[in-house]
Amino acid sequence: MRDYFLRRLLLIPPTFIGVTLLVFAITRFVPGGPLERAIMEARTSETRRGGDMGRSSTSEEQLADLKAYYGLDKPIPVAYVQWLGKVVRCDLGTSHRFNEPVRDLITQRLPVSLVYGGITLALTYGVCIPLGIAKAIRHRTGFDNATSALIFFGYAVPGYALGAILIVFLAARAEWFPMSGFVGENFSDLSIWGKVVDLAHHAVLPLVCYAITSFAFLTMLMKNQLMDNLAADFVRTAVAKGVSFKTAVLRHALRNSLIPLATHLGASLTVFVGGSYLIEFIFDINGMGLLGVQSIFDRDYPSVMGVLVVSSLVLLTGNVISDMLIALIDPRVRFK
Amino acid sequence: MADAPILEVRNLVTAFDTDAGQVIAVDGVSFQCHRGRTLGIVGESGCGKSVTALSIMRLLPQPMGRILGGEILFDGRDLAQATPEQMYQVRGGKIGMIFQEPMTALNPVHTIGRQLAEVFLLHKTRDRAEALRLAIEMLKHVGIPSPEVRVGEYPHQLSGGMRQRVVIAMALACRPQLVIADEPTTALDVTIQAQILDLMQQLQAELGMSIMLITHDLGVIAEMCDDVVVMYGGRIAESGPVEAIFENPSHPYTRGLLDSIPRLGGQRKSRLRIIDGMVPALKDMPPGCRFQNRCPFAVDRCRKDQPAIEQVAPGHAVACHRWREVVAGAAVSATS
Ligand SMILES: Nc1ncnc2c1ncn2[C@@H]1O[C@H](COP(=O)(O)OP(=O)(O)OP(=O)(O)O)[C@@H](O)[C@H]1O
Ligand code: SF4
Ligand SMILES: [Mg+2]
Repeated sequence: MRDYFLRRLLLIPPTFIGVTLLVFAITRFVPGGPLERAIMEARTSETRRGGDMGRSSTSEEQLADLKAYYGLDKPIPVAYVQWLGKVVRCDLGTSHRFNEPVRDLITQRLPVSLVYGGITLALTYGVCIPLGIAKAIRHRTGFDNATSALIFFGYAVPGYALGAILIVFLAARAEWFPMSGFVGENFSDLSIWGKVVDLAHHAVLPLVCYAITSFAFLTMLMKNQLMDNLAADFVRTAVAKGVSFKTAVLRHALRNSLIPLATHLGASLTVFVGGSYLIEFIFDINGMGLLGVQSIFDRDYPSVMGVLVVSSLVLLTGNVISDMLIALIDPRVRFK
Repeated sequence: MADAPILEVRNLVTAFDTDAGQVIAVDGVSFQCHRGRTLGIVGESGCGKSVTALSIMRLLPQPMGRILGGEILFDGRDLAQATPEQMYQVRGGKIGMIFQEPMTALNPVHTIGRQLAEVFLLHKTRDRAEALRLAIEMLKHVGIPSPEVRVGEYPHQLSGGMRQRVVIAMALACRPQLVIADEPTTALDVTIQAQILDLMQQLQAELGMSIMLITHDLGVIAEMCDDVVVMYGGRIAESGPVEAIFENPSHPYTRGLLDSIPRLGGQRKSRLRIIDGMVPALKDMPPGCRFQNRCPFAVDRCRKDQPAIEQVAPGHAVACHRWREVVAGAAVSATS
């Protein structure tokens, strides 16, 4: 078990290097990169201001900074190793869109994404597992059919589309919920309790949208797995020993059914850090998803790489955690 | 009433609801299983052996399977009418069951010890340590080496033969009055098969239980059983003491089965005689005798009237219009 855990942990650094190296290399080849942009900006400002030498020298300075940060004058491997060395020292460079250290940008946004991601994860698993169990046990009853109809509606409607609908009807028309934002404008003046309420009030609609993305999938996965296992030979053996139906479900079928859900947990963690660009965009939430996508559009490569570093680290550790969970549930994995 | 049968099945009718409508899988089956003796049930695949066993255990797949009629008198009580709670006591406590597939019959995520101790906790004791001690003892009983180590292991760490021994240990743990074994050795190697059958005989001698042994191997029947029931198409073709069936087979189907087993020693047949033709599907069973399309003795009457059960000798019954001719024909072919 400990060897297995160690082996999984040791796989993190090479995977991390592979992912970041790939993106690092791409940023050097894709046209419209930071250097070209900086040069273009410098030219336009030069022509606009008619040879204002002070402005252009800042660009020159920026250019030099950029070159130094990326090591653009060096071959990719050398430049990458230099960059990695800075990352290890927690230096993620400076965003040229925000003119702020990327580390600060991320520390502002990561908590937002973690709060939404964490609640979404707890909510989906907390609801999908019991719901899937109830549906499996009451297969083809009124309850099962009604919830299935709801679930498939949710499956057909993407999270961001639902977000738009919810904003129009529940926020704009009915004014039950705020239209957007992570917290209200007067957040800092509120009491602790008021802050919690304000946060929750802002969170309801986005959370519904986040949750709906994997809700149908997880519920049906749980239901189908449990039904398969309820029909399995070993459950029949258990019943033949004299256990009740309830015990057969809870003690014998359920744990086996959780194995694929634990496998999926790793993928679910993407939302945890990555957030969802579209949902964050619609609800104007300043999370990692928005930062990542906009940085790509603006060719703000220090931010792109910064977001990538954080999210890939979280994802890789997440995958190890989900592997550990599987090993806890399934001895066949543990004793390989 | 010491010599009243431990199990008496009377006119059992079991049906399944399928997409194509209701099919009767077991149609009016009656037999007795005597105390301390072994009853064999033999017949081709799909003739209703397992469904009969599952009906007795009230383990039919739900909600499709249903007992439509008849009585299952176990120790004087009708199991067909028993409540679920009463069945919890019977299953594992008074009737043990051994299934065909040792590879899937055990729960992959629980240790051998836990699965075996569960039987004792359900029927014998509330003390976990005591249950585990009994489990180790039982494993020793079924010939598993170093049982103290094995209780901590998981099913995938054991060979097929060892797993079947564990399944047998679970079935016999509470010293049931009856053990139903549904093809306990079909999935095992020939050498392991013999070991498992020996083990069952040895345990029967020690514990004095009755065995209902389902198989399609007449060799196993000859070796293990006192009485035999031959089933065909959900009905009983012939039943009686093993010697009577082997020496005086009175149903054309039984004769076909006996002719199809290879004889060691004696005059060697160049080719096995197998019964030509196929069993009709349950939903298009013809009226009259179900064996008619494969029977060399079939006459018009067989296509109209269902043959009644007739006595060949005390305890030896057959369901064939022409059993006398069959017996006479057998005598002829034996002398020729
Ligand atoms: N769940 C089910 N739904 C519908 N029909 C079923 C179901 N289970 C069994 N049957 C039918 O009942 C009949 C008897 O099946 P059964 O499993 O008792 O055969 P068997 O004699 O045990 O055969 P085998 O030697 O292959 O185990 C078969 O024709 C099968 O089609
Ligand atoms: S009743 Fe007729 S068809 Fe059926 S077994 Fe006897 S002879 Fe053959
Ligand atoms: Mg069977």
